[in-house]
Amino acid sequence: MKLFFLFIFFTVVVSAQTDWQKWGKANYSYALKINNEQRDFSFDSKNTARFVLKSALNSYWFFISDVDGDNCSFSPTCSNFFLQAVRKTNIVQGTLMFFDRFTRDMDIYNKFDHYPEVEDGHFYDPIYLYTLNQKEIKYLPPSVVVKTE
Amino acid sequence: MKIPIAFFLSLIVFSTANLFAQNEFAKEFIFATKLYNEENYYDAVTECKRLVFFDSDSQYVFKAYILMGKSYKMGGKFSDAILNFTNAELNAKTSGEVFESKIEIIRANILRRTTDRALQLLDDLDKNGNFSSRTDEINYWRGWTYIFAERWKEAASSFSKIDSCEQLQQLCMQVEKDKYSVTFANLISHFIPGAGQIYTGNYVSGFLSLGWNILAGYVTINSFAADRIFDGLVELNFFWLRFYNGNIQNAQKFALYENQKISNKALNYLQFQYNGTKP
Amino acid sequence: MKKIFLFFIFFYASGFSQAIHQNEVDLFSPANIKKFADYLYCSGDYLRAALEYEKYFSADPNDTVKFKIATAYSKIGKYSKASALFDSFHENSKFFPFARMEFFETLFEEKNYPELRDSISNAGLSNGFIFKEQAKKIYYFSYLYSNESLPSKSDFLSNFSGPDLNQIKYFYDWKNNPPYKSPLLAALFSAVIPGSGKLYAGEIADGVTALLATASLGYLSYTDFKAGHYFRGWLFGGLAAGFYAGNIYGSAAAAQIYNVKIQFDFENSLKVFINSKNCFVPEINFCK
Repeated sequence: MKLFFLFIFFTVVVSAQTDWQKWGKANYSYALKINNEQRDFSFDSKNTARFVLKSALNSYWFFISDVDGDNCSFSPTCSNFFLQAVRKTNIVQGTLMFFDRFTRDMDIYNKFDHYPEVEDGHFYDPIYLYTLNQKEIKYLPPSVVVKTE
Repeated sequence: MKIPIAFFLSLIVFSTANLFAQNEFAKEFIFATKLYNEENYYDAVTECKRLVFFDSDSQYVFKAYILMGKSYKMGGKFSDAILNFTNAELNAKTSGEVFESKIEIIRANILRRTTDRALQLLDDLDKNGNFSSRTDEINYWRGWTYIFAERWKEAASSFSKIDSCEQLQQLCMQVEKDKYSVTFANLISHFIPGAGQIYTGNYVSGFLSLGWNILAGYVTINSFAADRIFDGLVELNFFWLRFYNGNIQNAQKFALYENQKISNKALNYLQFQYNGTKP
Repeated sequence: MKKIFLFFIFFYASGFSQAIHQNEVDLFSPANIKKFADYLYCSGDYLRAALEYEKYFSADPNDTVKFKIATAYSKIGKYSKASALFDSFHENSKFFPFARMEFFETLFEEKNYPELRDSISNAGLSNGFIFKEQAKKIYYFSYLYSNESLPSKSDFLSNFSGPDLNQIKYFYDWKNNPPYKSPLLAALFSAVIPGSGKLYAGEIADGVTALLATASLGYLSYTDFKAGHYFRGWLFGGLAAGFYAGNIYGSAAAAQIYNVKIQFDFENSLKVFINSKNCFVPEINFCK
């Protein structure tokens, strides 16, 4: 009888925490979650340099990266990192960030103690950590699992 | 004559008093149900909790827990739903109510995708002699559990035991037939680079993969043949093996992806177009 | 006939008295709302409890209920609502000292340290305040979190004593002079020896990788130029230069990340320490 009441008490307390915010109808889907990142093959027409860069990346993705498998342990991948870095800063700084990222990618030592992980098992390494703007850096400990959109 | 009349009159009075008390709980339950029907699930849970708290005779406790569980289920909070359905089961007074609460627990487990637990509960229901007349319902939910566990063949087999579920049986059999074999895709990619990807319908990727492997192989063998061992090793490791492994990875990835698409097509049909009872 | 009539009246009256007890069954009577709210509060369903107490409060405004509403909001993280309620307690209320301390706690959780210190100075440090010692500690602890300049060491440490003094001294010294790494120095180190800036910033494996990458590509470039393979020489040379420059940049970035990391670790250990000392207020247990 004691166990019964303990069970009821425990279930009441545990379920109470869900209700610390008002919630409504959830739009859940029966469908399976598909982890297949679709490439953005669009062209960046902001200026000529960006157009050339995006075209080169599109070609690299189509002819090489999508065919040689998943070789980057990071998320975003090195090529995506380069693209985001150039868009955020400029071509010179973006290139420096890319070379630094490539060095870290080549590092075969234990990454689990350094980087948080994304749900799909890659290591989370976003560009805002490397723009030399300390205020933008949001530190995440290695044990954290990051949810991406 | 006078005493029976007095007794009869007093009975009316006491019944009215009691009826008034029961009417309050009934009104409260109707109010909670109204909130549920208006999709105001949080407040529906509040009113059910109120009912459970005050209903010391437990007249409405079972119904209140069932309604709470359904509200949590509609809010996507399946673990909380299961807790409340379990409470309903503990407060069930008839075997019908026990069965109803167990089925609700199973349905919430299906949606939560804890299908092993759902299957275990269904097996327990099967073994329970009290529910031998409800085998069709048990097999129906077993079929749904197998669907959510991606075991379409077993789902078809479960539905085949129910006369009125031919449509579901056909659907499951079709999905099983349409799916690609991940093992086969993986295996043929080991022998012919790109074959696994072509098998799953990704022709461009497959032929590109084949082309790169041929080129890499030619360059590597050429280097070894020309006694440029170091060059050959570098080309083997960073060129040929890279594209060869990539071909195997892609074969597996595409097979899984295509299978997920096939499953999702069926699951979307079941969620939005199928008219029968759903989890 | 008279006897039947009296008999009937007697039973009807007792029946009605049962009906009067319908107040116990009137689920939305103020008394029942309060009973239900107390049950929700004690089972941790704080948002529902707060909403029910608010319904009851309009019928019977009293400080106990107001305190419970405020505590419930505080527990679910709605600090702005909680602090407004805690701040509204009158000095004469028996809950005033507790409400003051809870008010300070909500300001602390909202990271509103300047207002926290102002409030403590105005009310918390007055002689009549029974939690004056706790308030003083929170006042000085808030300096360790905020970016304002610290008070003098003697002034700060004079408020603490006992076995925790050494730990608090450590926190003060850390805050006063945090062991940050200089990004400029890291970049300079890497400019001289590739990878050394990363070692300085604590990234040993990255530093070694950078050194090996730059060195091996540089060597390949040198041997190719020597052998007359100019295209390969320029290719490897360019890559070596890229990794070299990237490493200088990356060393500066690594030093910045290191600084943010140690700040994060410091704030975490401070939070753990403050929570373990239970500086805020002895919680009133309404659920005995």
